[in-house]
This record gives sequence, structure tokens and C-alpha cells, in this order.
Amino acid sequence: MMTSPTQHDADIIVVGAGPAGSCAAIAAARAGKSVILIERGPFPGSKNMYGGVVYPRILDELVPSWWETMPVQRWVVKRSTMLLSDSGALNIDFRANSWGAPPYNGATAYRPDFDNWLANHAVEAGARLVCSTTVTGLLRDSNGRIQGVSTDRPDGDLHAPIVIACDGVNSFLAKQSGLYPHTDASNFTLGVKETLALPKHVIDERFGVRDNLGVDIEILGGTSGVNGGGFIYTNLDTIALGVVLKLPKLAAQQKRPEQIIAELKRHPAIAPLIEGAEVKEYSAHVIPEAGLDMMPTMVADGMLVAGDAAAMCLAAGIWLEGVNFAMASGMYAGQAAAEAIAKNDVSSRGLSGYTDRLEKSFVLRDHRKLRKVPHLVLSDRVQHKYPAFVAGVVERVFRVDNPHPKPGVRRIVREERKKAGIGLLDLLRDGWTGMRGFG
Amino acid sequence: MTITVCIKWVLPNRDGDERFAGISLADQAAVETGLSVAEALNDTCTVVTVGPPAAEASLRDALACGAHDVVRIDGSADTDSAETARLLAEHCVHSRFIVCGDYSADRGSGSVPALIAARLERGQALGLIDVRIVGESLSVVRRLDGGRREKLSIVGPAVISVEGSVARLRRASLRATLAAGEAHINVITNDGSGALRRNPETVPPRPYRPRARVVPSPSGSSALDRVRQITDTSSSKGHGETVVLSPEDAASRILESLRAWGYLADSAT
Amino acid sequence: MSSTARIERDNAWPEISFEERIGTAEFRIHEKAHITVNGDSCRGCTTRECVVACPANLFVPTSDGGILFNYENCFECGTCYLVCNKEGAISWTYPEGGYGIVFHRT
Repeated sequence: MMTSPTQHDADIIVVGAGPAGSCAAIAAARAGKSVILIERGPFPGSKNMYGGVVYPRILDELVPSWWETMPVQRWVVKRSTMLLSDSGALNIDFRANSWGAPPYNGATAYRPDFDNWLANHAVEAGARLVCSTTVTGLLRDSNGRIQGVSTDRPDGDLHAPIVIACDGVNSFLAKQSGLYPHTDASNFTLGVKETLALPKHVIDERFGVRDNLGVDIEILGGTSGVNGGGFIYTNLDTIALGVVLKLPKLAAQQKRPEQIIAELKRHPAIAPLIEGAEVKEYSAHVIPEAGLDMMPTMVADGMLVAGDAAAMCLAAGIWLEGVNFAMASGMYAGQAAAEAIAKNDVSSRGLSGYTDRLEKSFVLRDHRKLRKVPHLVLSDRVQHKYPAFVAGVVERVFRVDNPHPKPGVRRIVREERKKAGIGLLDLLRDGWTGMRGFG
Repeated sequence: MTITVCIKWVLPNRDGDERFAGISLADQAAVETGLSVAEALNDTCTVVTVGPPAAEASLRDALACGAHDVVRIDGSADTDSAETARLLAEHCVHSRFIVCGDYSADRGSGSVPALIAARLERGQALGLIDVRIVGESLSVVRRLDGGRREKLSIVGPAVISVEGSVARLRRASLRATLAAGEAHINVITNDGSGALRRNPETVPPRPYRPRARVVPSPSGSSALDRVRQITDTSSSKGHGETVVLSPEDAASRILESLRAWGYLADSAT
Repeated sequence: MSSTARIERDNAWPEISFEERIGTAEFRIHEKAHITVNGDSCRGCTTRECVVACPANLFVPTSDGGILFNYENCFECGTCYLVCNKEGAISWTYPEGGYGIVFHRT
């Protein structure tokens, strides 16, 4: 016997108005479905923090000419990868001034600005946004089928045939629905960051940029022996400087996150960049770092999971991306949900258009290709031995040690490798994994 | 005789960013006091502010909490106290109790409630730290100099202002919050001569979503007739319709048609 | 003298205190705690991962072997429950909607 149909408040409930949720809401509302978008912060973006660069290419589909209205700090035209040893640094720079003009590539932006802007597009598309409301759980009918969500407001139950969980890295909805088994601390890193104020012209001079062009620096090493990495991004009149720390290692090292930031700031390669800067805001957030290996099941009857809730951050050394994966997965979830409503099948089979889209797009293809890279990047050798090894080799190659003649590079590599305690086999193995991983 | 609550929506000092704007704790307590008094006296509660369009966010919050009506008197965020009191007083003439917070979020002088009372020649009890409803009147406690307290019984009509500790604003229900997000807000503009004018309802547009249209099956005797009936433009009626109505009725008629065609959402409230 | 040199360097560019650091973030504090810590479970814990890892430094060891916890300046990041090895020691939820951390320029 059919149970009597519940009165629905909307076709689709989207939980979380971050990049994933807002894109899901835009896509579903544009497809003519009624959408309620629930945000627990007082405004979209108020709970959100990240390293600092958005790659909005995927928005071409949802917000044409997004660059004309997006709240950008600086367009990234210079990418640096920095290897830090105790006192040395190897810096690899790439500059592309074409990234500073339409159609652009990546930009630094404050998330409370960016997410709010994106959520406004969802509202313009017809989604109903309700803020200051925390979702507390899933509603199910007597057959266990998902019927909507409960919230912490009085009279706070909302019914809809489909729930899209974009509730972030701690996703209680994905956990509650049993989709998310990979909650071991080793899959997560903690990001802590300082927003440091400096006059715009000082940032321009120190980082070699002007106007609204900016720099993105990824740092390996310099995290006080805790596996992780660092980053520096330029905003208009602030610098975002932070570290990403592997949780179990952080807990074991007896060193607090703000101490690790302080030590990074004192490094001779970093200190001159930020001298005289005042801390404007200190922030912290957890990052799902293990890529494909930690992703939950993303589709259930009446439910889809997207963004950080589905562990879509890509933390693969030279590539640190998340907002773009969140926006794309959200958009695909919104499209698939609208499709399922249209054909009147909200079972996991009816919603499978979501995983099809993820598999065909960069979202899962990038993650599959780079599956092994996050582990490699956070491995002990890459973290603790290679930065000193590489910096040591380069230091000796460039050192002029007259009257001694220059030693051969091969000899330097062998000696530095031994000094750093790296076995030849390990080096070859990691090289091989890296080559295959980055393919 | 309604209960009127006057609130002040304030932008944060530093950057004037609307995301961080809002009303003071005292104003929140005033809204809660107004709502409870209205409930106890079986009266209605109206929340009023003088401010720019962005101030409507705070009015929607009040609506979600249970205010029967909300009104925005159009004015800049830094309208001075005397002018604010004049505008508010004009709107509060028929109120039994006028409830204000004893300070705004930008920590002004707190003089607006006193100025309203003076304009309307009402009794006033300002800076209250406790408000109870006893029968038809209010039993209140007022802070005096030297740590002393004064107990008053107020029958009304009167102006009161409350400290933030008097009440904690209730949490709005989800349904009321959703409804308030789309509700119509009454706006009163000051046309320069000092007279106030209530603005007509405005309806936000939405992306065009055409309604499903029923096409009756053609009823000609021959196939050619039937095909012609569906496809022939010369015989179709088109959308045009001419009516002669008063401006108000004409506006409603236009809105009705736009709704029927799918340009506007179905009646929001 | 290395210690003098160290002090000079610190003076040239002083690090801020933790209170100043946390004071740069806006917290809208609710009267009810959204995270609770079960002190009994903590008494037997020797590793104390939360004390080291919490970026807001909200877990403070007490002299009697327990843990003192403040919820007010919480980033709602999830680090504490992820690193905690004691089943049931930390019960973790988000604060009521509209309360808790509000980021401005992150």
C-alpha cells in the first residue's frame, strides 16, 4: 500500500549555501524546480575559510561573464612553489600575465564575499534562501526513505523528495545517512591562516605585481616537522598566510598550530615578505585531504552529497583546489536532482545522473588521475627529507667554493641524499609514484 | 489600539557592510516585549523603523517572530534623533504602548523615545530593567541614580524603553522565516513637504516560467479546417485586451495578468 | 649572545599573544554550549590530542588531571572530535543557527 504523500515544501532542499550548495540551487532553480537553500551562518560564507584561490571556469555554465561581478581580490598571474629547508629555500616561479585578463584563470577572494555573491545568484534564479538555520538531521518516512530535513528552528521540519547535502567537511547529514565511513583523522588536515594587513603598494612591491594582479605561493617544508604544507596568497591589501597540518601528526608533535605559523613567518625566505604586517583575522578549518580514497557514497534514495561533504578537495601538491570541485559537483547535483524530479524517480537509480556527470567531468577524472598524489605529498619522506635534500643539492650546485673546483652534480646528489638519509630505492619509488600520479 | 515597537537598523562603523548590520540587543528586547504585551492584551504588534531599504532585513526578522505588521519609513541611516522621533510619532498616534530599546546598536543618545513621548504628549518610562504584564497594565522597574530602583504601573497610552536584559527575542519558526522572506513590506516615503505617503505594493519579478497552456482539440469538419484552426494566425485571438479601470484597479489587473502568464510567482502572501 | 639576539629579533617583529590573535575573529556567542566534554573520560587520557591540536586553544588541562573546555571562541572546525581517541569524550554539534564564528576576510 502506498503511504499518503507528504505535503512537500519544495522539490529540493539544499543544505549549506557554500559554493556547492549555491551552485546546486542555481542549477535546480534554473531547471524550474522549487528550491529551499538553508544556511547555518547569518549570511552565506560567514562560516567558510580556505587557502585562498578560486578557479571559477566552471561558472561559465551558470553565471556567464562571472568575472564582471565576482568580488575578486586579485587575479592570480604568478604561481610559485617553494621548498623550504631550515635556512634555505628553492623557489620555482611561473608567470602568465594573460591570466590577468578575460576570461581569466584563478583569483584570490574572501569567502564571506564570494559565497555571498554566489548565493545571491541562487536567490535570483528563484531559490529561497534561509539563513541562521542549522540543519539537525534527516527526516524519514516509515520505510526509512528520506523525506526532508529537521532544523533547529521552532516548527522547523521541511519536507522535500530530494535533499542535497552540501554541509561541508563535517557533513553530519552524510554521516547520519551512513554514506560516509571514512572519518578517520588521518584523512583530514587542519588549515590555520592569518589574514595579514599591509598597504597595497607594499604588497605590489614585495610580490612583483601591480593593479589587481596577484600571487599564489605553495610551500613544502616549513611546518616545524608536522606533515603538511604552507601557503601565501595576495589579496588587495592583505596577505593570506597559513599552514595545512596533518591531524594525527599535529596531535603527536606537541606543537600548537599558531606556533607553527609563527615559525613559518620567521623563516628567512618568508619574513621579508610580511614584515610589519598586522594580523587582521585568525581563522581555522578542517580540510578533507585524502581525495578519492575518502569519498563517501554520493547518491542515496532521495539524497545527494556534494562539495567538501563529499571530500572533493584536491590536495595534490602543486594543485590545491576545492571551490571549483565544490561548484561543479553542486551544479551536477542540482541538474541531476531536477532531472529526477522531472521523471518522477528520486531513488538512487533516478538520481544516478549525478555520478554519471561526475565521472565524465574533471571532478572525478582529476581525482582518479591524482589518486596517489595526496598520500605521496603528505608522506614522511616528501615532508621531512626531500625539501632539505633538494635545497642542499641546489645550494652546493650554486656555491662557489674556490679554490676548490666545482664538484660534479651527480656526486652532490649522492652525498646530499645520504646526508638526508634517503635510500636510493625509496627515491626511485617515490619518483615513479610521482611520475605516474601526476601523469 | 495597537502596540508599536520602534527599532533602529544600524550599519557597522568600520566598513558600512550590510551583512554585519542589525539592531541592538535592547531593540531586540523591545520587539520581544512588544510581541508579549500584544499577545497578553490580545492586541496587534507593529514594528516600525526609519531607515533605507536594507533596513527591511530587520523588519522581516520581526515579521518572522510574529509581528502583525511592519513599516519602513524611508530615510537615511543617519537621520537625526529629532527627525526620527517626528516620523515615528506620526506613525504611533493610535498606539497604546510604544516600545523602544534604550540604546541603538551605534550607541546614540537614547533620546528618541523621550522625543516621541513629548511630541505625542504621552507618559514615559525609560530605561526599564523589568517589564511584567498585570491585567491590562504594565508593572515595570526603572533604574535610578545611586543603584536605586523605581517600580511603576503603566496603564497607557505611554512610551517605554527597555534595556537589553529585559527579554530575549524569541527564535522565529522556520515557516514564518520563509514566509517573511517574501512578504510585502509597507514603505512610507516622506515627499519633502513633511507629509507621509504609503507606497503601493511592489512585486519582485522572477525568471519567466510560462504556464502550461491548454490547447483545445480543433473541431472542424474537414482535416484542412482543423489544421487551419490550430495553425492559422489570422484567426487566433492574441493577448490584447483593452479595459478601462482606475489606476489602482488597473495596477492589480496588470499584476493578475503577469501572474497568469507566468512572469510573477503566485501571490506571495 | 644568542639569547639577546633572539630577543632583539622578537622585538623587531613581535608575535601577538593568543588572546589578541583570537580577538581578531568575531564570535557570536550563544548561551548554550554546542560542544560538551565529558571530564571523566578525559581523566584517563594521557595523550591529550585536543590540547595540542585545537586551533582556538579551548582545551586546558587542569591540575587534577581533567580537561577544562570553553566553547565560546570555537571555529567549529571539527579538529577536536577527529583527533580524540576516547569514545564519547567529546559530543560535538554546530551552534544554533546564526551564532558562533563569523568570518570577515577569510
